[in-house]
Amino acid sequence: MSFLLGRDFLFANAVTGGLLVALVCSLLGIYVILRRMVLLGVALPQAGAAGVAAAFWLTGHVHGPGQGHFGALAGSLLATFGALALLLVAQRRGRSPAEWSIGSLLALASAATVLFVAIDPTGDLELTNLMRGELLAIGDTDLYLLAAATAAALVLFGLFRREILLASFDPEFARTIGREPARADALLFLLLGTAISLGVMTAGPLVVFGFLVLPPLAALRLAPRLGAAFALAAAVAAGASVGGFAVAYHADLPAGPTSVALAGGAWLLAAAFGRLRARRGGLRALLLLALLAGGAGLLGCAAPRRGAEPAPLPDGSLPDLTGRGPVAVAPFRNETGDPLRLPESNPLDELGRAAGDPFAGPGRSVPDALQALAVQELTRRSVSVRSVDEARAIFPRPPADAAGATRRAQEAGLQGPVLLGTLRRFVVTGQGGLLLARLELLLVDPADGSVLWRGEASRPVPVRSALTLQEVLIDAGPALFSQAFDRP
Amino acid sequence: MNAANPLVRAIEADFGYQGRAVVRGASLEVVPGEFVALAGSNGSGKTTLVRGLLGLVPVMAGRVERRPGLRVGYVPQRETLDPLYPLTGFDVTLLGACRDLPFWRVAGAAERGRARAALAATQGESFARSRYATLSGGQRQRVLIARALATEPALLVLDEPTAGVDPQTEAAILEVLVRLARERGLAVWMVTHHLHATTGRVDRLVHVRDGRLAREGAA
Repeated sequence: MSFLLGRDFLFANAVTGGLLVALVCSLLGIYVILRRMVLLGVALPQAGAAGVAAAFWLTGHVHGPGQGHFGALAGSLLATFGALALLLVAQRRGRSPAEWSIGSLLALASAATVLFVAIDPTGDLELTNLMRGELLAIGDTDLYLLAAATAAALVLFGLFRREILLASFDPEFARTIGREPARADALLFLLLGTAISLGVMTAGPLVVFGFLVLPPLAALRLAPRLGAAFALAAAVAAGASVGGFAVAYHADLPAGPTSVALAGGAWLLAAAFGRLRARRGGLRALLLLALLAGGAGLLGCAAPRRGAEPAPLPDGSLPDLTGRGPVAVAPFRNETGDPLRLPESNPLDELGRAAGDPFAGPGRSVPDALQALAVQELTRRSVSVRSVDEARAIFPRPPADAAGATRRAQEAGLQGPVLLGTLRRFVVTGQGGLLLARLELLLVDPADGSVLWRGEASRPVPVRSALTLQEVLIDAGPALFSQAFDRP
Repeated sequence: MNAANPLVRAIEADFGYQGRAVVRGASLEVVPGEFVALAGSNGSGKTTLVRGLLGLVPVMAGRVERRPGLRVGYVPQRETLDPLYPLTGFDVTLLGACRDLPFWRVAGAAERGRARAALAATQGESFARSRYATLSGGQRQRVLIARALATEPALLVLDEPTAGVDPQTEAAILEVLVRLARERGLAVWMVTHHLHATTGRVDRLVHVRDGRLAREGAA
């Protein structure tokens, strides 16, 4: 799983960001559980999500590095701390149980989130992603901000650990020895609010709530001391976060919910171990747990892999190109009538860089991404291919036709075939439905302008779990090229 | 006893919550080395009175004077502490021993030694490593007294320390408190319902009835 954290990995930022959120939430979550404020743990992330939705609506929304993102962060912070302040005021002034006001906040925040999404014509996809716990689009700036905030939170949490424990466990005793529990409470809520705001921005309310609750519950089931509980919660959170991402990557599932499900599994195992330990003693329980974990691990190993090293594919309908030199994949023409622009900070950046930076500069679009994917798919079929950079140097713009490509290739003294692509249709039907695409490919020999091969992808491709264009590409790209290359 | 220089002196003090006085016109003195039992029916104001003397409840009228730098060891009703916390008896005691430790410092040998000594004084060493949640009522009470002692107090205030424990445990706890008052010169104020158990052990009995000090006298 170490490849997940490597800088070359497509989603390295997302994995690191998810890990940071999981760590800080699980550590603070110990007090969410011990202070019996689990309902607050679900209400505050929801308030943060409502703040993000409101910010998207107010700012016209751009979810990527830049102004829009900081606006959303401000929305999340304002909503989370505003909700906290309201709850504290209600608790001080009111005589009703705290659950009443927290429950009301949860209901209102949930409704507000849905309403903001409903009236925001541009932000709904990104926000739906956020609500689902997708972790894909974390830019470098977001990651640095998250890392700095996490480090600061952990340092403060460590420095004031005894004050927070005293204020939580026995505030009256704290006051009799000259400590002011209200200050420690304020610090704890400040840390919680910050962690929740940033976590909601990064991973969504589901992931934040899951990691506030499940790793601490698992840890408190097993740990004999408070220090051990913190260590165990962090370990469970780290394992569930990175492991969840690995499972999601292999099984094509949303990463956040998968991580939360793994954390839930850890809690169930911990609960089972706790019961067994009570009945049969620690050693037997440990052996049984090891057996269970081993079985789960074997199942995990047996799961189909969609790893970093894709297996070579047969050439399909492609002709034998041995001795003709490397193929240059020219930029694809966009004949859809839609610019098909990809938002900034999309994860295909990394994929593109690995294949030769096809997305340099602004104005990246679906055809650009398809060009990079074509290079990747030809490579998987053991075809010798020029990098996207080389191809772009020869073909700064998409050739109009085979003759134009031949002329340009001859001018550049290009040896080897040229692959031309024309995208005529690219439409996703309904919410999470089908991709209706038509991609025509042409392999031309620049020596004489003859057509070596023609291929086409026109069958619908299911993209059920994809909500953004980049997700559609990730899900459907290989299938499109499989249709074109492999269909006789 | 040092009546001329009390640790705490209340003069016609009212204590209460949210603008409502629960204890009215309380005048009393807490003096070193005296073991005092505070008795009264449920809701009479015993707990409010001791919390008022400690400054945990606001003074609504009158005056309360505390000796400057007074160190108080407070033992709350043990039901107020959540057994969910994964703390051992020693961990709980250590919280008291760290009273003077700056927040950023880790508890060192001095604090650990003080916690161990406090547990020894309450005969709590045998269950110091057990989780607080798994201890019996009497054992928890000893841990909480040890935590209060670890703060090196001049005044020990206990809120119903013998509630819900069997007579043998109750007697053992009271013996510990008597010994602490005698040997260390501690002022011990204890809220209790069990007057029969305090007979012959406390120096003074203070009755609280309907928020007023009804009767003071030698036990």
